[in-house]
Amino acid sequence: MRGINASARAAALVAAVAGIVLWAHTGSGVPAFRADVRPEPGWERFRADYGISHFGDDGQFVRAVQNGYNLVHFTGRYAPRFTRRTAADRVNACASCHTVDELAYSFVNSDRYDPRFGQRMSFEDHVRRCYAERLDGVVPTVYDPAVRDIRLLARAVAHHLQLGEGAVR
Amino acid sequence: MKKLIRTGAVLAILGVLYALSLYKHAERDAARRAPVALTPGCAEKLGRYGLAADKLYRSPYVLAREGEARPARGYAEDDVRAIQRGCNIIDDTQGELATVSLERWNAKRFIRGSHASCDHCHQSIGDKQDADGNPLKGSLSLGASWVMADMYDRFTGLLLPFELRQMQCYINSSNGYKPNIADDLVRDVTAYSRFLSAALDLRIGNHYDEQGIDEIAASHTLKQGDDYVRGEALYKQKCISCHGPGAQGTVAGGRVVAPALAGPNAWNMQSRNYFYYVSTILPGFICRNMPPGQENTLEHQECRDIAYFLSNLPRPAGDKQGPLTALQQQLMMNALPPLVRMTERVTTKPIQEGEQ
Repeated sequence: MRGINASARAAALVAAVAGIVLWAHTGSGVPAFRADVRPEPGWERFRADYGISHFGDDGQFVRAVQNGYNLVHFTGRYAPRFTRRTAADRVNACASCHTVDELAYSFVNSDRYDPRFGQRMSFEDHVRRCYAERLDGVVPTVYDPAVRDIRLLARAVAHHLQLGEGAVR
Repeated sequence: MKKLIRTGAVLAILGVLYALSLYKHAERDAARRAPVALTPGCAEKLGRYGLAADKLYRSPYVLAREGEARPARGYAEDDVRAIQRGCNIIDDTQGELATVSLERWNAKRFIRGSHASCDHCHQSIGDKQDADGNPLKGSLSLGASWVMADMYDRFTGLLLPFELRQMQCYINSSNGYKPNIADDLVRDVTAYSRFLSAALDLRIGNHYDEQGIDEIAASHTLKQGDDYVRGEALYKQKCISCHGPGAQGTVAGGRVVAPALAGPNAWNMQSRNYFYYVSTILPGFICRNMPPGQENTLEHQECRDIAYFLSNLPRPAGDKQGPLTALQQQLMMNALPPLVRMTERVTTKPIQEGEQ
């Protein structure tokens, strides 16, 4: 190292940082921005069965619901930052434990006191806990599309099932 | 030695801050567990809707109207207190009836003026009904807003969650500051809104007439154009007795009787109530909700004229107008009311003398 002068060391450091940024940007395989959402297997069937096209005034909502569908069924692929689960794990997606109907019922019964945690829990709180615990990952912020779009999916399904606040099965 | 003292001082400051945060956290926790003193309006409303801790909830409102009510999941004591606090926040945002400001989660710190309260727009504590108990069209029902939340919002271009919409109310309609999305202030209002939707048996994603504003576009009128002079005359005829000269609002005994519609206590220029930002919302609100007790009596064009007149009065700039507009508005808010009073004295005096 003594043979390398200071400017060469600085250049190497900058190159290393740039390399890591480039790797992080391209290595995940997830584009930074998508105007549309990739249709995954089962989406068209789900969309038809739950009348998603008839819900919401705008394509943005339907796209968010589609992203929610992808997050729930292919969590590792669509929320890679928040889960360590891979295809090799038996439980590797939200859908491994929950059906979309269950998510809808959970949504209309959220914002309630949960004795397990000794506090009132929102739907988002539960989703974030799932990422951290069941999916062995990292907690997203409450604003993150990885949380928001699951709520929108649950809302769309709740509309299809015509659920009201606190609906019980 | 000096370095050691400096490090010790930094650690001591951090320790004090940590202790302070623990104290504040415990204070909030105690406030969450404390019994809630309801405002008279909330005591009546929540009592009528049968809010109580139980395993199941059946709405007395729906039972009385339809003969049966679906059983919904009941509420725990913590949920009941959150709903009660949320109701109090809507009814008394400024905390005029509270003994300590923490009862309303210090909502006042997110509001610049001294008038703004949620129930000025969301009337009857967010649940306005006629004498027969029917929700009123365009009355900004909070329960109906909750079931229709998360939709695409054409004004912001966002899928707007209910909590974010509340933040916008604080920033623009209250000309204030943004609370945190997870603040008890926001969560309790959400809890109350959700309870209203249960009490009225509203279904997720359905549109109800009482949701939002029944907007009045120019195309809903005879297209005479919106007129300041007509608006001012109508204001003096229909509104001034409550909202006062210059639409500055009226206060009696330290309590707001009718809120300011212009001036430093009113909504700002980024609010959807501001005619030059959205020209259909304030007319819709006026037609459907004003004057109290005489709702739906004004013509569409009259509502647009009043809204146009009000929006030409000076009010605070919003966060997108920039500092120069803010300065101009501040100058106008301070200079215009005395000028108008002086002009009115000059213009009305000769008429009185002439009459004598």
